[in-house]
Amino acid sequence: MNRLKYILKRVLMAVPVLWLGTSMTWFIIYQGPVDPAANLLSGSERLTETKYEAARTELGLDQPPLQHYVDWMWSLFTLDLGQTWLIYPGSSVGALVLDFLPRTVWLGFWSVLIAVCVGIPLGFYAGIRSNTVADYIASVSGIVWRAMPNFWLAVILLAVLVGSESLLGFDWDSFLIRLPTGVTGNPGLSYMAGDPLALFTQPRDTLAAIKKVLPAAVVLGSASMGNEMRIGRTAVLEAKNEQYVEFARARGVSGRAIVWKHVFRNALVPLVPVITTEAFLLIGGSVLVESVFGINGMGKLFFDAAIQGDLPLVGSLMFVFIVLLLSINLAQDVLYTLIDPRVGYEGT
Amino acid sequence: MRPDGARERPDAATGGRERPDAGSARADGGDPLLAVEGLTTVFHTDKETIRAVDDVSFVVRAGETLGIVGESGSGKSVTARSVLGLIDTPGVIEAGSIRFRGEELTGGNWDAHRGDVSIVFQDPSNSLNPVYTVGNQIRETLRIHQGLRGRAAREEAVRLLEAVGIPDARRRISEYPHQFSGGMRQRAVIAVALACDPDLLVCDEPTTALDVTIQAQILELLGRLQREEDLAIVFITHDMGVIEETADRVNVMYAGEIVESAPVDALFESPQHPYTRGLLASIPGRTVSGDRLPTIGGEVPTPTTEPAECRFAERCPDAFDACERVHPEAVRVGPDHTAACLLHEEAYEHEDGPSRRSADGRGDPTDGADAATDGGGLG
Repeated sequence: MNRLKYILKRVLMAVPVLWLGTSMTWFIIYQGPVDPAANLLSGSERLTETKYEAARTELGLDQPPLQHYVDWMWSLFTLDLGQTWLIYPGSSVGALVLDFLPRTVWLGFWSVLIAVCVGIPLGFYAGIRSNTVADYIASVSGIVWRAMPNFWLAVILLAVLVGSESLLGFDWDSFLIRLPTGVTGNPGLSYMAGDPLALFTQPRDTLAAIKKVLPAAVVLGSASMGNEMRIGRTAVLEAKNEQYVEFARARGVSGRAIVWKHVFRNALVPLVPVITTEAFLLIGGSVLVESVFGINGMGKLFFDAAIQGDLPLVGSLMFVFIVLLLSINLAQDVLYTLIDPRVGYEGT
Repeated sequence: MRPDGARERPDAATGGRERPDAGSARADGGDPLLAVEGLTTVFHTDKETIRAVDDVSFVVRAGETLGIVGESGSGKSVTARSVLGLIDTPGVIEAGSIRFRGEELTGGNWDAHRGDVSIVFQDPSNSLNPVYTVGNQIRETLRIHQGLRGRAAREEAVRLLEAVGIPDARRRISEYPHQFSGGMRQRAVIAVALACDPDLLVCDEPTTALDVTIQAQILELLGRLQREEDLAIVFITHDMGVIEETADRVNVMYAGEIVESAPVDALFESPQHPYTRGLLASIPGRTVSGDRLPTIGGEVPTPTTEPAECRFAERCPDAFDACERVHPEAVRVGPDHTAACLLHEEAYEHEDGPSRRSADGRGDPTDGADAATDGGGLG
């Protein structure tokens, strides 16, 4: 089987997962303990039977469950996402997702990238120079990064950056690119709306958006950075003691070629699932960091929607999360086949 | 450390017997291909220092096959890795010299001779990098040692795969190691090893991980390659049957030392060391069917100190008191045949005789006459 067929098969296999995930979301909100109709009537209104029934009718909750389910799934899969019930009442769900999603993806992307670009080289370096002073320093700092809780690190970093003038001797706000809105707040991504290529054609805006999200990305990526460092170190240690490395040495392959060609590629194999698992955690589980840095991302939105029982919004966000998860999984499997030829296209 | 003389045996008393050294091979003219003298490779662990190879000497002449045989843990593989310069910390070559065509290799000169000596490891599933094609790894080697690139390298790689008997080589060259069966994989490993264009091929139990029919094919292949490419082979195995088939000369190793060295026929016809006799007796098929297969009781000790006794004494059926106190050195027992055993040293034959030692009869270390000879070495 060739690679294209393999990917196609994986995409097809993703459909049932998508269906199951969204169905469960519907079931939990529709049949679960959260009552959206009651939430709609919260506030000063007096709860009466007629008003409650009117709210249920308004939300369509009085339909037979099966009909409601079919209608809801149909509109979801035709991307007719409708309007929110409770969060920013009456707004278009599609517009809301399009507004919030890019910020979360932007944050997640940079935190994964920073973690990968710092953690893996550091881990590989420590593995190659195992049991030297450099290794000990790298290993210990990896553990320290991993051990610091997100929310604590976020607050400390925020405090340091706000007081950067007196603490560090330079002003973070005007460093490299001036950010008039301060350390916290949303990264300005609107310049890319309708023109994704602006990412490259307007480097000033891109740089500003990166700088804005950088502190949050460092905090969010810190734990995975430590993880990747430690697993990278172990992977290199394991690979460099393999017999094929000894054989390569005996064949006269230079030390540099052994490390770059024979050790590193094999050491990447155990790192792939670590990176992809963390990628999803970073994209989905960033509520704490988002709230400390004042970034309006999907984490907070999803949390609010789920608590209130805003079915259209929860369902749509769930839909987006599942699609993200599946594409990251697919990327992981493709990465595997690229790095390790033993991972075949069959039987996976 | 023991005093200098302590390692000497009472040679003065052995009369007319000569003590052949490893260097004796030089007598027949010119440098041998590989000359190992007094090789001592130790591993420093936290607890102790393990003398994995202890004062080992041997030579390999061009085109010949030297077999090294012994139980697991006798130091065969460490000998092979020492010769190839693959000893890493905590291991270190503490003493001795390894000369290839007269040029010293120890002290970090391996890089100048990489490829002159090549190696085939025991487990073919681990010898090739799983993420690169077989062809890639052959071409990598060809580029380093023969400067071949591009089409020339590819053609030569196909030729090598065909030479080691891999059918459909042109297609298989772009396959990955995991797509080869065990026997085919070992052939591919041999092809990679041959891409170095070596003069000496060290085979470290190359057939142990393979089933018997494949084993025979690989042995046949090695024999053919040896004739065609005029290779010298150091064949390491614990299988006496394989040794009988392949080797010209045999070194028997025990606990880091060579205890007997002889041409293969002489060794099988008249083994002179009790350990060799034990090994030969424990080959299935050499005993009368129905009898229990004889074994050597106990296991190989891990040597941690310089030898002050015969390391085999504890398991030796012929051991006597002196074996506990005197370290035997190689004695000439026949043409080109040496054994390191006190049974062959007249001094002890006269004093104790090769009588069986009783369980409680272990000699007092300060025992009169022997202690005196022990200290009074040749100087």
